[in-house]
Amino acid sequence: MSLVVSDLTKRFRDVTAVDGLSFTVREGVLFGFLGPNGAGKTTTMRTILGILRPDAGTVTWKGGPIHRLGSRFYGYLPEERGLYPKMRVAEHLEFLGRIHGLDRPTARRETARWLQRFALEEVRNKRIEELSKGNQQKVQTIGTMLHDPELLILDEPFAGLDPVNASLLKEVLLEAQQQGKTIIFSSHRMDQVEEICQDIALINRGRLLLHGNLRQIKKSMGRQILRLSLEGNWEFWAKIPGLQLLEERTDYREFLLGEGVDPNHVLAEAMEAGQVIRFELVEPSLDQIFVEKVGEGA
Amino acid sequence: MSVIPVLVKREFTSRVKGTAYILTTVIGVLVFVGLSFLPPIMERISSSFTPKTIELVVLDSQAESSLLPFFKALSADREGLTIRDASGLDEREAYRMVLEEGLAGLLLIDGPLCTLVTPDSKNMVLNDEIRSLVNQAATRWKAAELGLTQEEMNSLFQAVDFRIREVAPEQDGATEVDGIAQTQSMVLAYFLLFMIYMALILYGNMVASGVAEEKSSRIMEVMVSTVKPLELMFGKIIGVGALGLVQFIIWIGTGLIMAAMGRTGFLGGMLGVEASLSTLPLESILWFGLFFLLGYFFYASIFAAAGALVSRVEEVSQVVSLLMMFIVAGFLAAYISFLNPNSSFAVAASLIPFTAPMVMFARIMLADPPIIEAAASVVIMLLSIVLGTWISSKIYSIGILLYGKRPSIRQVARLLKG
Repeated sequence: MSLVVSDLTKRFRDVTAVDGLSFTVREGVLFGFLGPNGAGKTTTMRTILGILRPDAGTVTWKGGPIHRLGSRFYGYLPEERGLYPKMRVAEHLEFLGRIHGLDRPTARRETARWLQRFALEEVRNKRIEELSKGNQQKVQTIGTMLHDPELLILDEPFAGLDPVNASLLKEVLLEAQQQGKTIIFSSHRMDQVEEICQDIALINRGRLLLHGNLRQIKKSMGRQILRLSLEGNWEFWAKIPGLQLLEERTDYREFLLGEGVDPNHVLAEAMEAGQVIRFELVEPSLDQIFVEKVGEGA
Repeated sequence: MSVIPVLVKREFTSRVKGTAYILTTVIGVLVFVGLSFLPPIMERISSSFTPKTIELVVLDSQAESSLLPFFKALSADREGLTIRDASGLDEREAYRMVLEEGLAGLLLIDGPLCTLVTPDSKNMVLNDEIRSLVNQAATRWKAAELGLTQEEMNSLFQAVDFRIREVAPEQDGATEVDGIAQTQSMVLAYFLLFMIYMALILYGNMVASGVAEEKSSRIMEVMVSTVKPLELMFGKIIGVGALGLVQFIIWIGTGLIMAAMGRTGFLGGMLGVEASLSTLPLESILWFGLFFLLGYFFYASIFAAAGALVSRVEEVSQVVSLLMMFIVAGFLAAYISFLNPNSSFAVAASLIPFTAPMVMFARIMLADPPIIEAAASVVIMLLSIVLGTWISSKIYSIGILLYGKRPSIRQVARLLKG
């Protein structure tokens, strides 16, 4: 039905980088692949791409082995960026298009189109080494999409981009998704993941912690966050069982609503304690889920 | 469609415009042009050493010496030789005369003992010249004492006319061997051999550092996610090989043009033999091309694997130094094979893949080895290339994603098994 990773295991001598990992990426979604540093994200990506051979497990696309699909099928942005420093931008992009299976005229046409899309036309004849880090990264990102792949695998595509370029990339990714492409990307910026991803997988130490639709994951966390701002006696909350203070901000406090705690009851108590300025029930942020899940495993 | 042509094209075009490549090509052309002017230059240099005129004073301590007249007579045979008799002067006066008149020296004759008194005893060329003149005079003197006539003396010093013929089982009779042609082909063989040697080192290093560059610029990960390691390796090897071939065509073309311009003297001038590229048969050029390519493809894959084991370009020289030793060994083996191209040593060395490209080429240039031996060498090279490429591609595909500390040989062996 899509990309299926099942029981993937990869060891490097005595270190098990990926340990029986299974997850599914539905076709045509933006998929956030998350985990702390050293969780095994890059190894998993490399194994999906066939750069590394797994010690156990399989990766399939629509039921067939993925490595049969050829270079035209994927685009890959590795975490360690790298291009040929002496080559010129347009020349380099055409080369990348060609090795991904484009013919020369198509490679040339697509290069021109993408350079325009990423506002890089004025550097098209510069050498890669003369570009800024951010522009190099944009060139390399173009290189992953030039040949119109069905599956994009991007390792930290937002890292190193300024806000303008980050929002440009976000736009491009959403556009690609609308065209039916499947995009797997890793990021440390949970706000960006929340903003554009439908599905996520969270891994740590090579094992899966969370997996599925982001909305459902948030719901299934079985709890809610209360943001409360009050002029009056703050001490009232200690009397309510199941209410737990998470954070004290300057303008509000964040509480975790335990199971069975009625928000209306809390509101009533708060109104008795003073003037309620803000009373808001929110789902836990991905950031909080991340910290909590990774923390549990530790 | 294979991506190898695209990779070859990138490798070729990105390097052909590089300063390093242009510089080595130009230097090579200059060397070829220079070599064709070498014989006249060498002649000029050597003539500056041989004195044109020698002015000597001779003083004989014995009143009745027999050497003196023979020595004086030499000035008739040797142009520029002036001999003045200082009889009547004493030694000190003769010394002063040498110094004041700027003469080459004073020759003191005392029976069989001759002493040269010279203001410049370091001038080896002059010393040798005078020594040989004295010896000539002495020989003539002895011959005269024995009562030999001029003819008798000539026949005594007449060298034997020594010739060489070669017999072969399939031939009736024996063929005359042309000594000059043999020296000529040896000079050319040596020169071409040296070019193969240089090429293996030059292009082998280019392959290794190219791989290391791809690793250090981290383009490697994009490449291996797209292209098979074997394709990547071949793209590099063929690309660099094509660069080498172009360079060789330019250089040999320069040599041929210089030869066509009448600058035939080339290298051989030093050995007193005219050896020029124009005397090189087409067959030899084809053999040269064949063994250059065989040697290159054999070594290049190993160099590629070596380059894949390091993370930075600076470390390349450490890992390739061992490989260079193999190439140097091949060159030395070929050099030794020159002395006897059909010795069992030469035959064995022409069948070992590390030395074969150079040794077999030398043997083919110098002797006519049995065609079966040449074929065996080529077949062994081809098989070694397949085997070497296979092993190298394994090391290469593991090495290209390894960063950090260079793995030891034992670790590489373990990775190969896994």
